[in-house]
Amino acid sequence: MDERVKTDMGATAAALDYDAELMLRVRDGDGASFGVLLDKHRLSVIHFLYRMVQNHAVAEELAQEVFLRVYRSRSTYEPTAKFTTWLFRIATHLALNALRDGKHEKSQERLDDASGDLPVRQVSDKRPTVEASMVYESRLEEVRKAVATLPEKQRAAVLMHKYQDMEYSQIARVLNCSESAVKSLLFRAYESLRARLAHMA
Amino acid sequence: MDCPLETHEGSALLLAYSSGRLERESTVPLERHLETCPGCRQFVESQSSVWRALDSWEAPPVSADFDRRLYQRIEQQVSWWDMLLRPFRPVFHSRSLPIAAAAGVLIMAGVLLDRPAVVPITPPQQSAQVEALQPDQVEHAVDEVEMLDQFNHLMRSEPAEPAAKM
Ligand SMILES: [Zn+2]
Repeated sequence: MDERVKTDMGATAAALDYDAELMLRVRDGDGASFGVLLDKHRLSVIHFLYRMVQNHAVAEELAQEVFLRVYRSRSTYEPTAKFTTWLFRIATHLALNALRDGKHEKSQERLDDASGDLPVRQVSDKRPTVEASMVYESRLEEVRKAVATLPEKQRAAVLMHKYQDMEYSQIARVLNCSESAVKSLLFRAYESLRARLAHMA
Repeated sequence: MDCPLETHEGSALLLAYSSGRLERESTVPLERHLETCPGCRQFVESQSSVWRALDSWEAPPVSADFDRRLYQRIEQQVSWWDMLLRPFRPVFHSRSLPIAAAAGVLIMAGVLLDRPAVVPITPPQQSAQVEALQPDQVEHAVDEVEMLDQFNHLMRSEPAEPAAKM
């Protein structure tokens, strides 16, 4: 603890967060470190965005924008927060903007056209029975609709809590609100989800 | 009904338990409580169903050309973007004005030399910025994101990423 006072703040945060260290290297001109960060976080960012907007193409487009912005901001990057907090803050911001800009209309269309984004192989390869895959699809549809119905901030909070395994405190930093606000967002969100999904065994 | 867990803290506890994230020392007394409290038991059962339902929702695989498209965009956009943004950055980072100006000049030079932007452009001396660490840097990044949005709307004269629409 005493050591870190004298060293520069960048080194401190980097020691606490390997990603931040990588980002500092990107800032200092190391393009390979950007590749490492991309490898590490590509999937979680795309999946988060996919579940936010529920459209694969839009999610990938937004994810491209996220990483592009990370790269563009490299020269002003300072590790004042966990790297993933910063990353998901950008991702959430873009997702909320996209939803407000009306890109979600596409996602609503997709919701009605359930075949659109399903990992088709999973249902068709094994082909246990037609009914089984129909049951799978309709269950999935139900989950997607339940999540899509959540207000945007609640949705973002649930997705980070459930799929990114984030603590309340980190979600609070991403959403720029208090920890107790995050808790009530999550409680309300899970309450709605329980009402819609609890019957699913 | 006088369940002691009918509080925010109680809900947080039950939520953590239902998602398997409760530490062991809190798990044992909670399970003891669940044996006697149908309300909490019902909460846990339905929350666990939600958890399983969400587990079953897999995201589709990432497109094989995701990285290629990204690097292509970096190459296409970073150079002109830096060129445009640098002169405005002092509005947000007034302390780094000379650095930003120097960076602008460097990047202009880079563009003139037709240097591919994916090869990271060596940044100017950053040590001054490390000392002038701003605690709300995340805020600035988002400010910048907002500004980027406005710019994108202004600058998007071409259809965005035709390659991405495959
Ligand atoms: Zn109880």
